[in-house]
Amino acid sequence: MRRETQNVLLVLTGGALLKIAFGGSYLRYVKPSQQPLLVAAGVVMLLLAAVAIVRDIRARQPRTSCGTTGSEHARSAWMLLLPVLAIFVVAPPALGSDSVNRDSARDAATERTATFPPLPPGKVVELPMNEFVARAGWDSRDSLAGRTVRLTGFVVRDEHRVRLARMVITCCAADASPLTITLRGGEFTGLRSDDWLRVTGEVEPGSATEANNYQPVLRVATLRRVAAPDHPYEQ
Amino acid sequence: MTTVSDRAEPGERGARRGRRITSLEVLCGLVLVAVLGQQWLQGVLDAPAVRTGATIFVAVCVQALPFLVLGVLVSGAITAFIPPHVLRKMLPRKQSLAVPVAGAAGLALPGCECASVPVARRLMGQGVAPAVALTFLLAAPAVNPVVLVSTAVAFPGEPGMVLARFLGSLGTAVGMGWLWARFGRAEWIAERALRRMPDAGGSRWVSFAETARHDLVEAGGFLVLGGLVSAVLNVAVPQSWLGSLGGQLVLGVLVMALLAVVLSLCSEADAFVAAALSPLPLLPKLVFLVVGPAVDVKLIALQAGTFGRAFAARFAPATFLVALGCAVLAGLLVLGAR
Repeated sequence: MRRETQNVLLVLTGGALLKIAFGGSYLRYVKPSQQPLLVAAGVVMLLLAAVAIVRDIRARQPRTSCGTTGSEHARSAWMLLLPVLAIFVVAPPALGSDSVNRDSARDAATERTATFPPLPPGKVVELPMNEFVARAGWDSRDSLAGRTVRLTGFVVRDEHRVRLARMVITCCAADASPLTITLRGGEFTGLRSDDWLRVTGEVEPGSATEANNYQPVLRVATLRRVAAPDHPYEQ
Repeated sequence: MTTVSDRAEPGERGARRGRRITSLEVLCGLVLVAVLGQQWLQGVLDAPAVRTGATIFVAVCVQALPFLVLGVLVSGAITAFIPPHVLRKMLPRKQSLAVPVAGAAGLALPGCECASVPVARRLMGQGVAPAVALTFLLAAPAVNPVVLVSTAVAFPGEPGMVLARFLGSLGTAVGMGWLWARFGRAEWIAERALRRMPDAGGSRWVSFAETARHDLVEAGGFLVLGGLVSAVLNVAVPQSWLGSLGGQLVLGVLVMALLAVVLSLCSEADAFVAAALSPLPLLPKLVFLVVGPAVDVKLIALQAGTFGRAFAARFAPATFLVALGCAVLAGLLVLGAR
């Protein structure tokens, strides 16, 4: 591969990183705290390419730094085009119901402590799914009992039930694992998998057991379709 | 397309320039086709499994590229600013002693596995013995403080897990270093990996930028290849049978070792994934944590690209076996057969 082509590929790759970092869609792929790293990496790629381009123009003759080391491994650089095209042309969406169905062996609630601080006062308590599932399964003081909570997640629908799910990531989407709760008692017609919902309701006491992999049941009071949030994953 | 472009290398077939299609034109063509065919492409990729795979592919690349960039900056700096005699002075002369020193150096330098590949290569280029550089390559991503702390957070109430992981990973790195010192042959490492960049006659900063750029272009492609393989396997390997492994310890250990290779998670995150696999005993989870940072498909692709296929074909299986052995040993010592 020619040196100019490599430089163009570097510019494209760096540009793709900057695009998702500033456009916000990086949150579909990695955790929020990665943003400065992505910006730094994009800028370094652009700089390295710029230095090479400027030196080539000054020298007026493209150097063949890679041409001399054989074509076999220089070809690998073509692979850089794949993520660039994936980001600019395809823009893969955040993980959704397909990953939930795939990942039946994992459960993401890692907080296994037995006591939780009391819930804040108020008629309706907004909770992350992570905390709701942990409290429903492991809270010895039953802090969820009789409380109405508001949860945000996407629909996973099969013939038996309607579930509300959220993916939890640690580093990037490759390590994502799902949190799911079963919805009961609401009006579910017209809902499709991957629709985002804001749901209020109460937990069904004792519904999160070892047998169902600590997947609680929520008795739905209200249910509203919402746009997909900026932060599709919980941490 | 690549054959066409490679014939157009300037210098090699300079006489044909102008009549042949160059790689730059191929690149422009590819981008143009992709942009024009955007609707069609998105339609083709609309199957749920493909969408999931595409997201994971981009995620692995986007997650790893910043660490690779960090790695090539360090590798460029080593080449440009650290003369070989300084490195020689820093390391014990005896190789069998220098190997554990390199393992301990991994403790101090938090890095991701993709960052340490170009660094190890340039260390070799500066005259560090391959056994020592390879020990560093294995130790840096596995035993650094960030990884140990995240393991402690992922396994609350199991402090033995952190110690066992540390011992298992350090044992793998040092063990592989000693093995390489005893049995390794220089000719397994592709000659191009150790060659210095052609002297451009510029300043040290020019040599820094050129080395970093060269390593980035070369390793970046292989990183993407590894990400692609890992994304395909991630979607294609059904994870439902993990739950049915339950109490079968030996089978669990083998399956988790293979899963670590297949999934190619970053070493900061793998502890959380292992912890979430609740039905398994601790020992298979430990194997997952020790094998993953030492050998996975992303790393194998990077190593094959950097050091050559002959190297990767020997180093990766050997590392897999040594890591498996060290993990089981450390697990039995620290955790017992739980």
